[in-house]
Amino acid sequence: MVSETLNLILQLLIYPGFLFIFCLAFFSEWIMRKFVARIQSRMGPTYTGYGGVLQPIADFIKLLGKEDIIPALADRPFFTFTPLLYLALPLTAIFILPMASQSALISFEGDLIFLEFIFTMLTMMVFLGGFLSGSIFSMVGGVRAAIQLLGYEIPFLIALFSPSIPASSLSISKISAWQAQNNAWGLWTQPIGFSVLVICLLAELELLPFDIPEAETEIVAGWNVEFTGRRLALIRLGKDVEVVLASAILADLYLGGPQQVWIIPPIIIFLAKMFACLLLLGYLKTLFARFRIDQVLSGMWKYVVPAAMIQLIILKLIW
Amino acid sequence: MSGSTIRVIIGPQHPALKEPERFILETEGEYVVDVKVRIGYIHRGIEKAMENRTYLQGLYLSERVCGICSDAHTTCYVQGVEELLGVEPPPRSRFIRVVVAELERIHSHLLWLGVAAHEIGFDTLFMYVWRDREVVMDLLELVSGNRVNYATNTIGGVRRDLNDERIQKIVKGLKILEERTKEYLKMIEKEQTVLKRTTNVGILSKSDAIKYGAVGPTTRASGVKRDVRADDPYAAYDEIPFNVIVEDGCDCLARIMVRGKEVLESINIIREALKRMPSGEIRVRVKPRIPPAEALSRVEAPRGELLYYIRSNGTDKPERCKIRTPTLANIPALCKMLVGGYIADVPIVLAGIDPCFACMDRVLIVDREKKRADVWTLDMLRRYGREWYQRH
Repeated sequence: MVSETLNLILQLLIYPGFLFIFCLAFFSEWIMRKFVARIQSRMGPTYTGYGGVLQPIADFIKLLGKEDIIPALADRPFFTFTPLLYLALPLTAIFILPMASQSALISFEGDLIFLEFIFTMLTMMVFLGGFLSGSIFSMVGGVRAAIQLLGYEIPFLIALFSPSIPASSLSISKISAWQAQNNAWGLWTQPIGFSVLVICLLAELELLPFDIPEAETEIVAGWNVEFTGRRLALIRLGKDVEVVLASAILADLYLGGPQQVWIIPPIIIFLAKMFACLLLLGYLKTLFARFRIDQVLSGMWKYVVPAAMIQLIILKLIW
Repeated sequence: MSGSTIRVIIGPQHPALKEPERFILETEGEYVVDVKVRIGYIHRGIEKAMENRTYLQGLYLSERVCGICSDAHTTCYVQGVEELLGVEPPPRSRFIRVVVAELERIHSHLLWLGVAAHEIGFDTLFMYVWRDREVVMDLLELVSGNRVNYATNTIGGVRRDLNDERIQKIVKGLKILEERTKEYLKMIEKEQTVLKRTTNVGILSKSDAIKYGAVGPTTRASGVKRDVRADDPYAAYDEIPFNVIVEDGCDCLARIMVRGKEVLESINIIREALKRMPSGEIRVRVKPRIPPAEALSRVEAPRGELLYYIRSNGTDKPERCKIRTPTLANIPALCKMLVGGYIADVPIVLAGIDPCFACMDRVLIVDREKKRADVWTLDMLRRYGREWYQRH
């Protein structure tokens, strides 16, 4: 009994819990930065650690030590809670995703719905954080995030739930296990759904061409323009965790998640899939110019929503 | 101001602006309904300083009006001074002036293309263009010894000659630039996200372009065929055949295409100039003192028509030197372009005129009640400032 509790605590705190996820988040930020830089024929981080691998951690520590300012016009409680929740929400969501083994740390029937709830809450945090920090730029950024949500929410939901139809379960662990056992990756059985999910995740993560809520050349840093010091550090870390979460979702729901191949442990297979998805997101990020907010809304409703629905119909016809 | 509009203030410090200038946008939601411009944050008193320096010293000062179009400024200045002196620069020096001016145009337009890509969030294109811009920067260094502030011109000619080795290197570099620029133009014509962000954005109709007196690529993108190089040829432009690039789009895409095609045209001009370059002297000696006269000199800088007015009074220093930079001429047209657009389009529209604010800031006090405009000296400004603070 005692050893089981200890085991669980260790799992939560170290592997595949907090420590592992933080390291993964920092590492994936480095991978993303380096990859994007190389595509753009730049160097990327080089200074801290081997090939600049410690640069994200150095940035995080530097931000922690910086002055923490609360603007006079900001709503104090929200200004404090938004960064905390912005980190805590994706961190919570990662525990329901299977990573190290076929079953996640916390797994229950219907955790897919919980995941969706977390994603919507994240955008609400962006909106509230931006809207209540008392600057015009952040207000415009927050409102833009909320408007963008209206565009990608529906196709995102459809693309998130369509893998559950063949697996006839609403639990992420069961879906990925089903895909791994039957060798029927979502990528092959429902390619349109995969591309819809990738597009919506780009919008959710505020990556190009959907980085409208924090469009640097238009509204400075957008919704997080007023956050400084510790708060900004938490937001940055939250963003890294969110990127890990997004690629993990792609790997779990559409690529079969962790599976044992020969003697390679499932975590290695999972990480390989996850980083493949991460690089896909990074690659797409470098290919486009930024859309305008009205173009996102009309484009999403004209093309992406119908695509997601067609995928759903095809799935229902087959299964 | 009505209650329904929100003021979004762009500048003096803003990531979209590389230099401090202030634009106050009245917005309704994402729409811009009115724009107010406040200029003058980086007034440096260059015109006044010119009056206290000799003509030769003034040359180096004029070079520092703008970092990007420094050669256009010195060309304009020396042309004015040469006109005052009644001196004709040797033919070879006029061709060298064309070569450097066109290399500078390539460098300025590529720089702008990168900035424009950055403004619409296309950082990959930004990085690529700036990487290839290094080629032309190296050529400029080869020709003049400097990457910026080339100091090629001098009163009565140019400072450095071009030898065969340098000409070979220029030709080689131009080939790379031509290939890359063609590729970027092809890509921009096809890339949907770029087209979506630039077509029908920042519209300046042909009649408005003429009415607001827009200059340079901005006006040529609105279908107005206006180019000092062709209209009032200087240096060796009358001996080199070239096309004036005009686009009818009137939007930001047209401004991108005009500049892109001008890069290709500049490459042709340089090739032609190198081919037709006569041999001979590159400069004539001139006297330091200049008899009383007035001169007006015009040059097509990368950003548009640049204008110098110089008045001499018989000493070795100019009595008055007035500089009108292209950015100032484009500001009224810019306000016209911004109104009615989205906030998201403000940066690319702003960048569309290729603004260079440091070049344009002069202290000009316009007194509406007394209907007069004065240029103030530093002392007058100081006095005004003291009095103003005593009253308020």
